[in-house]
Amino acid sequence: MRPRLFEETVLPHLDAAFNYARWLTRNDTDAEDVVQDACVRAIRFFSSLRNDDARAWLFTIVRNAWYSRVSRKANVAEGTRLNDGQDEWPDNALDPEERLLQQHTIALVRAALEQLPVDFREVIVLREIEGLSYKEIAEVAGVPVGTVMSRLARARERLQTILKLNAPRETLR
Amino acid sequence: MSCELVERDLDAYLDRELDAAASTAVREHVRTCAACRRQFARRETLSRLVRGAPYYSAPDRLRARVLAQSSQSHSVRRVLAWAAAAVLVLSVGAGMTLWRAASMRGDVIAAEVVNSHVRSLMANHLFDVQSTDLHTVKPWFLGKLDFSPPVVDLATSGFPLVGGRLDYVGGRPVAALVYQRQKHTINVFVSPAGGDPSTDNVVSTVRGFNLLHWIHNGMSFWAVSDLNSAELGEFATALQAS
Repeated sequence: MRPRLFEETVLPHLDAAFNYARWLTRNDTDAEDVVQDACVRAIRFFSSLRNDDARAWLFTIVRNAWYSRVSRKANVAEGTRLNDGQDEWPDNALDPEERLLQQHTIALVRAALEQLPVDFREVIVLREIEGLSYKEIAEVAGVPVGTVMSRLARARERLQTILKLNAPRETLR
Repeated sequence: MSCELVERDLDAYLDRELDAAASTAVREHVRTCAACRRQFARRETLSRLVRGAPYYSAPDRLRARVLAQSSQSHSVRRVLAWAAAAVLVLSVGAGMTLWRAASMRGDVIAAEVVNSHVRSLMANHLFDVQSTDLHTVKPWFLGKLDFSPPVVDLATSGFPLVGGRLDYVGGRPVAALVYQRQKHTINVFVSPAGGDPSTDNVVSTVRGFNLLHWIHNGMSFWAVSDLNSAELGEFATALQAS
């Protein structure tokens, strides 16, 4: 068997790492810095990757890199900075009206996610977008599985309220 | 089962984290309780909406910087990587399903499958034929392979076919079929199986990627993705049922 290289093992998960960091930090520049820090650490500690789950391993390092940056900056306060609205995923198969509706929905969902506390936002991103199991999320976030479950339930309740899904007449479909 | 219990277990149920007995209890309750069914529907709508949220890909300049850093520590890393590879070889379990020749071990194939998957994503060579139409993809393989791979579209199950290409696994040309689930790509490598006409699923994880291997009607299938194992299992079930 060929030796495992950083480029083959960890680099394929760079997009996932960036997406996670981007949701943690809510802006491109900070996300880039976090992932860059994380990769320096990942290269240094590559030999400590014993199991086969390079993706969850990289997420853990990204989280640590992010956490040491925010505690250094002593700036854990939650801003409500919103995005410039460039990175939407319009579906070209839709007609213009449907596309507008879809973009509108995406913007609402992103704003809703961004106003969640970061602990809640993180479990939603790792579970819904990255598809990690409860056990993997618990390892990445460094909390018990029970905490992951309660954060997920509370985060979803809060998102349902923000997105008005709990209202009798549901506005988003 | 009471509404309170269902409320407590609903998330674990939707995330496929409940055992079979508890799942059945939740399903039974939701079938008969309108209030819980509404909450269930809200959760599903929310999940669909969140999965449509922007996926932020790493900028090219970041990728370039990381690559430069990793090649700087190349010589040191090579030694460490060999050590890591030795650990991997020792830790991969025996008794995996064989590919074709009895001498070709499943774990070697699994590693090759993951390499091909990663290469297809990195080198931007995911498709030789890019089409969601199985009547375009299937004939494309004619004359390029000494077998005809089964090609089906699973869009109705939430796994649209997006294309196909020729690849090499286990020293022979194989058909690679590409499916999509949200932002995740699934590569399925198909080739004739040597021995058993059918086997059950064999699940494994290599370098953070989930793999499923099975043999059906004399054809060997390897499905690989960064999708979680539950959804990859769902994909395999849909493919096997088609």
